[in-house]
Amino acid sequence: MSAMTAPILETRRLTVRFGGLVALDGVDVAVGPGETLGVIGPNGSGKTTFFNALTGLYTPAAGEIVFGGRRVTGLEAHAIARLGIARTFQASRLCLALSVFDNILIGMHARRTTGLADSVVRRWRFRREMGAALERAAHLLALFSRELPGRGFEPVGQLPQIDRRRVEICRALAAGPTLLLLDEPSAGMNPEETAELMRDLQIVRAEMPGLSVIIIEHDMFVIEGVSGRVVAFNYGRKIAEGSFAAVAAHEEVRQAYLGTERARA
Amino acid sequence: MIAVWLSELVVFALVVAGILAERPAALAATGGALVAAAALLRFAPPLRTALAAGFARHRAAALAGGAVLALALPLALRASPYWTFVATLALLYVTIGQGLNLQIGTAGVINLAGAAFAGLGGYSVGLLTLSAGWPAWLALLMAPWIAVTVGAVLFVPILKTRGHYLALVTIAFGFIFNILMNNLEFTGGPQGLKNIPTLRLFGWAFTSKPALAGVELPAHANFYYAALLVAGLTTWALRRLHDSWLGLALNTLRDDEIAARCCGVSLTRGKLLAFSIGNLCIGLGGALYAVMVGFVSPPDFDFGYSLVMLSVVIIGGVDSIPGVVLGACLLLPLPERFRFLHEYRLLLYGAVIVVMLLYRPRGLWPAAVRRYR
Ligand SMILES: Nc1ncnc2c1ncn2[C@@H]1O[C@H](COP(=O)(O)OP(=O)(O)OP(=O)(O)O)[C@@H](O)[C@H]1O
Ligand SMILES: [Mg+2]
Repeated sequence: MSAMTAPILETRRLTVRFGGLVALDGVDVAVGPGETLGVIGPNGSGKTTFFNALTGLYTPAAGEIVFGGRRVTGLEAHAIARLGIARTFQASRLCLALSVFDNILIGMHARRTTGLADSVVRRWRFRREMGAALERAAHLLALFSRELPGRGFEPVGQLPQIDRRRVEICRALAAGPTLLLLDEPSAGMNPEETAELMRDLQIVRAEMPGLSVIIIEHDMFVIEGVSGRVVAFNYGRKIAEGSFAAVAAHEEVRQAYLGTERARA
Repeated sequence: MIAVWLSELVVFALVVAGILAERPAALAATGGALVAAAALLRFAPPLRTALAAGFARHRAAALAGGAVLALALPLALRASPYWTFVATLALLYVTIGQGLNLQIGTAGVINLAGAAFAGLGGYSVGLLTLSAGWPAWLALLMAPWIAVTVGAVLFVPILKTRGHYLALVTIAFGFIFNILMNNLEFTGGPQGLKNIPTLRLFGWAFTSKPALAGVELPAHANFYYAALLVAGLTTWALRRLHDSWLGLALNTLRDDEIAARCCGVSLTRGKLLAFSIGNLCIGLGGALYAVMVGFVSPPDFDFGYSLVMLSVVIIGGVDSIPGVVLGACLLLPLPERFRFLHEYRLLLYGAVIVVMLLYRPRGLWPAAVRRYR
């Protein structure tokens, strides 16, 4: 990010506590318009907590979050979503019994213009809006796969893992966000699926150049492939920031990863 | 199209015959025919798919046919005021069931005090007519809103809670409602409220006997047609709400609250909306009931009836609009037909809920994928 452009998102000394545990400890992060920021860090280092604080699921104990020039600290999750932050989850959070289209349409919930009266008595208005929404959902699916739009009315639970992840990304994109948060999109995928996912992310990048993205990843190839700048977390603190090469070479980062590797072994 | 109408007519004829059959042999014959028809559908998939396709293709014709038969039912049952009454009751349970289904099925707001909210509607009608001197039709319009208001005021703080907490609180609410009605002076205590004036619309009293196509019908047919209109309207409106942004948001809240909130859905607003619209329907059903029978008392709205309402939703199909209609039309008349079952009614409903949840959790007519038509 150049020093000139104002960041779309900025956190200042952001801190989240769970009882005695400091899960996020005075984190300063800024993301510029159109930038992709990678977030790495060992298990339990506070990456997901960072996202949960940004999206209003957790209330910060201290510090603040400024999004689009507005202080959003302490706002409810749905209010933050409406301001333009959309996300995916580390463990998929799709409604498996609902259709593929339903799972994407809910992303457009905040953008709807027809209300209850339109749904019941002035149905033509609702049908017109919903027709356009369904088209948009199909268009988003078509970005990733040629078959998916045709399966729009199937329950999402019938799709394979990779397609579910795609639906989840489509749901987030359907909101028309200015900031997209991806929490370990490659979690639970084999190398081929991860490669496909990388391609999907590059498609998103190409289609929506103005969109800012923060991506949490354990897979270093993904991080290296999609993100410009990288920050590393450990024990809730930001320990490094810079280009992928610089962060990967950072002493404390190496220590942190080595530490967990040893602990696992 | 003819096949669609014909199959509707066959079901109608069998049901009417089943209701009116006096001798055991005739009853056994029609019962056997119904079971055979059901089994035929169950074990002959090609026939089933053909029929389903027919109904899907001629949806308007099927609905029109169903409406004609529903309008004709009092004619077929004219010899029996009692069965006209039971049919009306089933229609009231359609209205109530749609409301409860929006709460439980669509939004996952487990309301186990359906009877208490119906009772709020019923008692409101009684008090507004008897104590405040309102005409019945005005009381009928007002009463459901009282159920909505009481529900909203009392339940706002706990609608957000997850899991079984809300369900437990609604059970408690149901019992408290009953105790209050039993003990309060102005609700008439255990005797309840008697002599609620009947409905009078454009000079037509609902106690006079109507005539359809020159045939005189029992007075209960008045309420049958009123209940049919109300059930039709609520089913129509709730079908459209279900197949809209609201239904989608409520389903998502039910299945994954966090995902819904991160998509901009307000948890409080969504659940409160579902709860209130549901209570509007439930209160309306209870209010119509009070006007129909002319009195309300605590046992009319005890926990057993909450259980009946719940089973209507579970049998028909959780979150399924046509399922509720099917559930109410099956569950209300059956114990009336077989009086020996009547004694064990609650046991039966309880058992039916357990069996359905174990073996067919999505109900007899499972919810279909939302198509937003
Ligand atoms: N809701 C919660 N209640 C209590 N502790 C929590 C909660 N959420 C997270 N934590 C704790 O906060 C710390 C950071 O967790 P977090 O989920 O943010 O890690 P992470 O970096 O996303 O790890 P992973 O790579 O395994 O996903 C962990 O110690 C975790 O146990
Ligand atoms: Mg995580």
